[in-house]
Amino acid sequence: MDTQEIFENAVRMKIVGVGGAGNNAVDRIRMDMEQLDGLSLACVNTDLKTLSESPVGEKHLIGRNITRGLGTGGDPELGQKAAESDRELITRMVDGFELIFIVASLGGGTGAGISPVIAEIAKQHGSLVIAFVNMPFTFEGERRFKMADAALKELRGVADAVIPLPNDMLLQEEAAQDSVLNAFSKADEWITRGVKSIWSILLKSGLINVNFSTLREVFNIQGAKTLFGFGQGHGPNFIQNALDDLVICPLLHVPDFSKVADNLLVNVVGGTDLSMSQVQEIMNFVTEKFGSRENTVFGAVIDEGKTNTVEICVIGTTEMGGFRGVSKPRNLLSPQRTPVVANRPTVTAKSLRDQITAGVARKNGQMDLIPTIQQELGFEGVDEHRGFFEETGRNEHDGFDLDVPTYLRRGIRVVLR
Amino acid sequence: MNSKIIGAVEIGTSKVVVLIGDIVNDKTLNIIGMGVSSSQGVKKGEIIDFNSASDCTHAAIMAAEDTAGVKVDGIYLAQSGRHLEANFSDAEVTVKSPDNIVQRADIRRLLTEAKSKQLPEERAIIHHIRTGFILDGDLVDDPENLEGHKLGVGYWNIHGSFKKMSDSIHIINGFGLRVEDLIVSSLASGKMVTTEEERQSGVLAIDIGSGSTDYVLFKNGYVVHTGVVAVGGDHITNDLSIGFRTNAKLADMLKVNSGKATLEPKSKNDKVMLIGDLTIGDRSISRSGVCQIINARVDELFKIIRSNKQVSAYFTNREISSVVLTGGTSQLKDIEKLAEKVFGLPVAQGENPSWVASDIAGPEFSTALGLLYFGFSYRDDTRFTEQKRGTNLFKGLKQLIGLKS
Repeated sequence: MDTQEIFENAVRMKIVGVGGAGNNAVDRIRMDMEQLDGLSLACVNTDLKTLSESPVGEKHLIGRNITRGLGTGGDPELGQKAAESDRELITRMVDGFELIFIVASLGGGTGAGISPVIAEIAKQHGSLVIAFVNMPFTFEGERRFKMADAALKELRGVADAVIPLPNDMLLQEEAAQDSVLNAFSKADEWITRGVKSIWSILLKSGLINVNFSTLREVFNIQGAKTLFGFGQGHGPNFIQNALDDLVICPLLHVPDFSKVADNLLVNVVGGTDLSMSQVQEIMNFVTEKFGSRENTVFGAVIDEGKTNTVEICVIGTTEMGGFRGVSKPRNLLSPQRTPVVANRPTVTAKSLRDQITAGVARKNGQMDLIPTIQQELGFEGVDEHRGFFEETGRNEHDGFDLDVPTYLRRGIRVVLR
Repeated sequence: MNSKIIGAVEIGTSKVVVLIGDIVNDKTLNIIGMGVSSSQGVKKGEIIDFNSASDCTHAAIMAAEDTAGVKVDGIYLAQSGRHLEANFSDAEVTVKSPDNIVQRADIRRLLTEAKSKQLPEERAIIHHIRTGFILDGDLVDDPENLEGHKLGVGYWNIHGSFKKMSDSIHIINGFGLRVEDLIVSSLASGKMVTTEEERQSGVLAIDIGSGSTDYVLFKNGYVVHTGVVAVGGDHITNDLSIGFRTNAKLADMLKVNSGKATLEPKSKNDKVMLIGDLTIGDRSISRSGVCQIINARVDELFKIIRSNKQVSAYFTNREISSVVLTGGTSQLKDIEKLAEKVFGLPVAQGENPSWVASDIAGPEFSTALGLLYFGFSYRDDTRFTEQKRGTNLFKGLKQLIGLKS
């Protein structure tokens, strides 16, 4: 297969940055990624000034008649109205792309209000929608926190996968010079890593390839909780360094004993010196540490410009309500979640798993090398870090849940190693 | 010789503690049996799995009866958890007799009025705790036959959810035993670890357990406030396991072996090993990180207590002179230092009274000892009210939740 043919068959992907933070993130991706083959960038905003400052080619001012280009002033309802008034524009923007990444901060009115509408329209037009959303600090206040939480739930109802990036956790990254203000650029960094990893899974060839339909199956549990982790390693011990880095990834701030993910996608991007046995080593570690009870899909890609380096990206999805069994008091507070799971018409978790297994087995015969872990190791979605207290009621005090670690709620950066 | 065998049961989050006492001639209390089992089905001080909680409680009672060699007549049962709430009610009456001498009838009238506050549905009173009488502005212990015009009194009324309380009563009934009374954990342990002098001058006793923290405030010898925060040692363990991405067992080891409540300087060199035997999966962990996580949690816990509206009023008016810590988590290193910082008062580790034998002198027995003490000594106010306390109120509760009394 020559290069031309690869690109003709390639999946068309588009990253849509929504709101100020989303626009910045797209700009960052534009600068960080050496290649952008098959990847289109677009910025959407209700604020004309911020939008005009973006160097990205495709820009859309949404809700011109609603906000007059002056932004939403932090009101997600206004953002939603703006999006509803420009459905045609949004349709034109997303139509024809198999994969739409939505990038936004849910702490802002534009991001929180418009993102769910874009996701919904893109889904209607057959796209796979993966959203990376930044969540505000708990200490930014209860109102903002609840607004972001509500938007997250709404987005989960429409997108295929929503990966929340809570500032509380991003702050945990070990770099003494970081300030709280840096958390936003940190979020951009994580979004870039995620997008880049999925992009390379689909567009680069390697030791183990994952095609678009396999990716689609992994994300086919709508309303699911997602897990996202990333680790990189360089130097002589790059495998071990990357695994160590993955273990302390701030987005994996979850204990071993919480729920496992139903589906796990692990992508490894290495240099030309990455061998199959090293990939095997990574696989063994990852499935043991973050083992998906039912299914793990692996991709391993070679980046020809690199040596002595490896990046591991772990994305998991867990059906909400499915494996939990117990109806939790928290669900009473968020009635939106349950209908999403209940209304899923045809795909059951079991049939889905079968499909994935079959799909993967067809794709490459190497899948039988991969151990599928059955034990109760695991993790949960990054927006819910209650651990041991998972199955008990919220421990309400002044609007916050006391079962969530104090250091996360207070925004204390912990020295880990 | 008249002998009555009573049992004290605390169904805690980490363990169930049972003590058996022999009350001889209403004068002497001998502790004759003890049983401890590790707790199942209890989180944050509340029963979440009835069957598991029931099994481990029955095991502990059985062990205690075995060591005592006798059967228990009735149980005093501790209550904790966030379902407990309390309010203050007070009343004032004018002394009726023409010579302004307080009669017993005045006192009865006053007490009935002060206690007649309506409760929300699904709630039942556990204690009406009386503070001192106020006769024309002066605090008096016993106003009968004193001269005055206005007689006032206050009650600290602790109530809890029917459902939660009946669950624990059913567990005891399931073993064929009768519950004599329910007693709030903070009262039981607080009474054990404070002295009469401390209670006079004002003391805050904080019992930090695995799943919850129970506290009581004494002033002028009376209980003036009680409270529960559903945060305990388990939260520290969970915070550590989330922070260092490890399991509960290793996180607990980190807490016990390397943890302390105060911050460590951020030194790059001060490391502890997660497991300590250099097996696969062992890794080095920053001790200062461990302390950061613990410090944030315990600091928050103390601040929640300190900022309670009623508690902070006592602090503002300088009516508290010391703080006493007890419960399993009070053994955390340097916890007194942190408490001193938050409360701005001298902080001591609570000790059980000297009459307690050494094998049950640890802080984890404070609550059960307090329960026995209450069972032995609580006859307050019977002079003023027609029925004996512990029968009328409790009978009401039992009828409401459909138990045979």
